[in-house]
Amino acid sequence: MKTFFLTLILLVSTEVFAKLNIAVSYPYIGAITKVIGAENVNVSVLAKGNWDPHFVVARPSLISKLRRSDALIINGAHLEIGWIPPLIRRANNRNILPGSKGFLDLSSSINMLQKPTSVSRAGGDVHPDGNPHFHLDPNNILLLARRVASFLSTLDPSNRSNFENNFQDFKLHWKKEMKKWAKTMASANNKKVIEYHRNFDYFLHAYHIEGIATIEPLPGIPPSSRHTIELINTIKTQHPCCIIHDVYHSTKTATYLHNKTGIKVVIMPHDIGALESIESLSELFDYLTGQFND
Amino acid sequence: MKKTLLILVPLTAIIYAQDEIQTNSFADAFSQSAFIPDISLIVDMSYVNRNLKDEEVAHLEVPGVAHGLIGGHSHGEHSHSTVNASNGFNLNYAELALHSSVDPYFDLDAVFHFSEHGVEIEEAYFTTNAIPYGFRIRGGKFLSEFGYLNNQHHHVWDFADMPLAYQAFLGGHGINEIGAQVQWLAPTSLYWMFGAEALQGENEQMFGTGAIAPAGDPEAITVSSPDQPNLFVGYTKLSGDIGDTTLLGGLSIAYGDSRIDHLEDAEAPHAFAGTSTLYGADLVIKHYFDSYSYLKWQSEWLYRDLDGMQYNYPSDDTTSFNTVALRKKQSGYYSQLLYAYDQNWRIGGRLDSIYQNDVIANSTNKEMPDDLNRYTAMIDYSTSEFARFRLQYNHNTALYNEEGEQQDVNSLIFQVNMAIGAHGAHNF
Repeated sequence: MKTFFLTLILLVSTEVFAKLNIAVSYPYIGAITKVIGAENVNVSVLAKGNWDPHFVVARPSLISKLRRSDALIINGAHLEIGWIPPLIRRANNRNILPGSKGFLDLSSSINMLQKPTSVSRAGGDVHPDGNPHFHLDPNNILLLARRVASFLSTLDPSNRSNFENNFQDFKLHWKKEMKKWAKTMASANNKKVIEYHRNFDYFLHAYHIEGIATIEPLPGIPPSSRHTIELINTIKTQHPCCIIHDVYHSTKTATYLHNKTGIKVVIMPHDIGALESIESLSELFDYLTGQFND
Repeated sequence: MKKTLLILVPLTAIIYAQDEIQTNSFADAFSQSAFIPDISLIVDMSYVNRNLKDEEVAHLEVPGVAHGLIGGHSHGEHSHSTVNASNGFNLNYAELALHSSVDPYFDLDAVFHFSEHGVEIEEAYFTTNAIPYGFRIRGGKFLSEFGYLNNQHHHVWDFADMPLAYQAFLGGHGINEIGAQVQWLAPTSLYWMFGAEALQGENEQMFGTGAIAPAGDPEAITVSSPDQPNLFVGYTKLSGDIGDTTLLGGLSIAYGDSRIDHLEDAEAPHAFAGTSTLYGADLVIKHYFDSYSYLKWQSEWLYRDLDGMQYNYPSDDTTSFNTVALRKKQSGYYSQLLYAYDQNWRIGGRLDSIYQNDVIANSTNKEMPDDLNRYTAMIDYSTSEFARFRLQYNHNTALYNEEGEQQDVNSLIFQVNMAIGAHGAHNF
């Protein structure tokens, strides 16, 4: 029995009490939280960046991460509906419950695109609050960072000025980056693209690119041959520049469309870690904008 | 005049009705529709083709363990119908599930199991969410977290039916009892959970809360009912990841008094009273190839020890009992492998076995068969997360007829499972 308790004490990290432990759902939120929180927070990211953000496995190890967190920051807008609720129900941690002081839903800071006026599963796996992939508009990153800064300040008021300064520094840096990206993307204005799922629409919106169709016939419904034949016609009549494709769906249909019509297929990372080379927010947008630079 | 009046009446009605509509927005001020809980309905149906007729299957038993495993069966006023019971079409159930927060401190869940034979409250429980130090308390009727599969609902299972050892030892509902549960999650980097449950113990296959008395003289209580609650369950579960592989293991124990009453059975009426313990060990290993494709190996081992007295009627007399000191030590396991090719297709195989079947009556081992196996293969296709079509084949060698002859039972099951509404995501 003695050894049992000793092991238990050893397993409990002693650091726990020094910094704020923040759990976040996706890597991009982790990056923002690290920039703003810096040395005053420990960040643990639940989902992997190279996997479909809709389908994260609710592994028990994620429950123990939530158990030891002081706060939880999620993307929201139903993106995590398939995996975070069962984790919260088992984490037995009242600090991170929705509605509590330690819970932040980032979607509440964003004006969302594509809010459906009516919702039915006959229309596929629709997000009732609108398109939740809002972090791919670089303007939104600033809004989110602002929100994270005030969230951290309410959790740890003694470091308010640190968080505020970190945010101001980040804002300056990010505005410079955005100018660079706007320049790169100027030539892409009014281009047309095809996506697999509508997960790059905020990026397209930011740079005035039109997403004219998706490879999946309806959200969350895998490609069908009838829909693919329609896409071939769409490509032939509307001449989109390319298919922008996420890293986690099979490119089988995209390759087929390429073979039939010659359309270019461009792989687009959606988050940090989606491709091994992408380790920061700046690298993510450098890569995304670089894909249109030709 | 009359005519004018007749026209006037509906006219005034319309005028007032329009007035009503204009002021109707007041009603919204008290609308509570935003508080409607998450509601979902899950319907499960199947088409079954067996090599034996329904009435033949209904009389088969796992010798020394359980009878009437497949098909509807009845003892006394209780009649049970398991899933996929009949040849041809089966409407297995329509399950209505509700979930919502009660207030900042509690969640409430309920699952109503509708079948053609009636409605059962399968679950109705509250769960705390605001207790500190990693504790959580649940109370009401719920599925025990003994083992891995017991806590999962039928629609989550990777096969259309329950593993043989579970069904034979615990019956088609597993440990589904009224009681209280406390769980504690250790603040460790590995997932490490401890749980304890005090349950009423009404499970008819292994426990039970009734008194035992001969049917011919019901006043003469031979064995009184046990202290209630009668069933105590404890378990611990440990989980961690190695790269893209998750391991989850658990050890469980369930202990209680047995009052198994089959005195109203038409064939060989009997009863059993004693103490019973069920031990369980489970291991799940799941490896992910990408977001949609995985390989999952899931195994559970069960061992039960029943120690007590069996009561039988002496020939035609139902006013007194003959007694036999009876001990049953029985072990079984299932092991299943599942491969998800993508979001649509999955394929799986399962091996079921009860390999230890020591039934010792008055110190003599009754030499019951102990090679009770079942082999299962399945393939399923999901059009979305909410609809699944499954084809399953079972070859069952665990069933015996009343003459003690082993009977092969082969079943082909085509199962359709669909869900609508707001249904919460599932645990690992």
